[in-house]
Amino acid sequence: MTTLSLRAMAAALVGASAALGLSPAFAHAVCGDRIFPATLGIDDPGVGDELALPTLTYLPQNAGGSQEFDATFSWTKTVFPGFGLSVQDGPTWQRPGGYGWDSLDTEAKYNILCIPDFEFMASVGTTVIWGNTGAGTQIQPFNVYQPVLDAGLGFGGLPKSLNILRPLAVTAELSESVPGQSWTNASPNPTTLNWGFTVQYSLPYYNSHVAEIDNDFFKRLIPVTEFTFSKPISNDAPGAGQTTGAIQPGAIYMADTWQFALEAIVPINSASGHGVGVVGELHFFLDDIFPDTLGKPIFTWGQP
Amino acid sequence: MNHRSIVKIAAALAFALAATAAAAHAQLEKAAPAVGSTVASPAEIRLKFSEGVEPRFSSIALSSESGAAAPLGAPSLDPADDSVLIAKVVKALAPGVYTVTWRAVSVDTHKTQGSFDFTVKP
Repeated sequence: MTTLSLRAMAAALVGASAALGLSPAFAHAVCGDRIFPATLGIDDPGVGDELALPTLTYLPQNAGGSQEFDATFSWTKTVFPGFGLSVQDGPTWQRPGGYGWDSLDTEAKYNILCIPDFEFMASVGTTVIWGNTGAGTQIQPFNVYQPVLDAGLGFGGLPKSLNILRPLAVTAELSESVPGQSWTNASPNPTTLNWGFTVQYSLPYYNSHVAEIDNDFFKRLIPVTEFTFSKPISNDAPGAGQTTGAIQPGAIYMADTWQFALEAIVPINSASGHGVGVVGELHFFLDDIFPDTLGKPIFTWGQP
Repeated sequence: MNHRSIVKIAAALAFALAATAAAAHAQLEKAAPAVGSTVASPAEIRLKFSEGVEPRFSSIALSSESGAAAPLGAPSLDPADDSVLIAKVVKALAPGVYTVTWRAVSVDTHKTQGSFDFTVKP
């Protein structure tokens, strides 16, 4: 088959799909002109086929007073456009403390909204951290259930007189962690409220909407700062109700089929840890790498 | 599983993924007239994307500051580069600010869109 006939066939397939209103491949977090990158402290508002491998975290002194190193992975598979299932897991080393394997973390997430003109998208999900699936220091004998709301807003709709602000975007996440068991060995398992947000300045957006950047590295860079917080809201131990969290300044380099993110982790108070940690993640967009196989939804109906 | 095993698996997977021929979302990398630039009336609008695009399902539109459409030819690919989409400017543009609005469908059917301004100098 010639290149020309291959191109004609591809065009025909695209045309047929468009005519039927189908989406042959669902994008990662794209809404209107905005592409939201995958972030580390909170989840992005999109649902797509993606693989984070590895995510490496180092904390010089965590909330429990130990030095900590984590190596995790996360894989999301779309079942139908806008709806995906993900699994996350990995080992943790603590000193003092020793080795442990995290409890299996799964999430079902649905992209409920995208308003292209406002570059606004939102998703809802439910995470379950499965009890008795961890090992070593990370053994947890009960499930934890976590409803999650993620949203993102790009500032591209600002008037052209504010062009310099149009590459800005914010994303946010709100969740509640509800333990499946109130007490373990006479200790309370608190319900916690978790929230966070990111502020991003997309140089790819700047390059394609505001003014050309004549540097191949910087035109793919997204400086970002993430803020994550958590607070027990019920059944917490006396004196343990303090808000904890971190501020994570860093940057994301976004290539065509992968991205790399690197952020510092600055605890907000002594209950959150001490010293500046670091987190890095290599993230693959499977919908771009394997658009016809692993990276496309199992079912192609239900485009939101 | 120890730390070394995880690093080996990650490296192997990264190599496998990197070795796979892939297409992605077509992002605008470069334009002529350049994004935000001031130029003489251009003969064509030329958009260079990060990926090959499908011209039959991609579009370029041009409008003046008042919102009036400026006529363009049908978009076509640069014969030497399927990631470059070109539309001829049918009539010389009067001085002023113009907005280019584009929609691109990459060869793997992912859709992207965007817009930018340029100024035609007197």
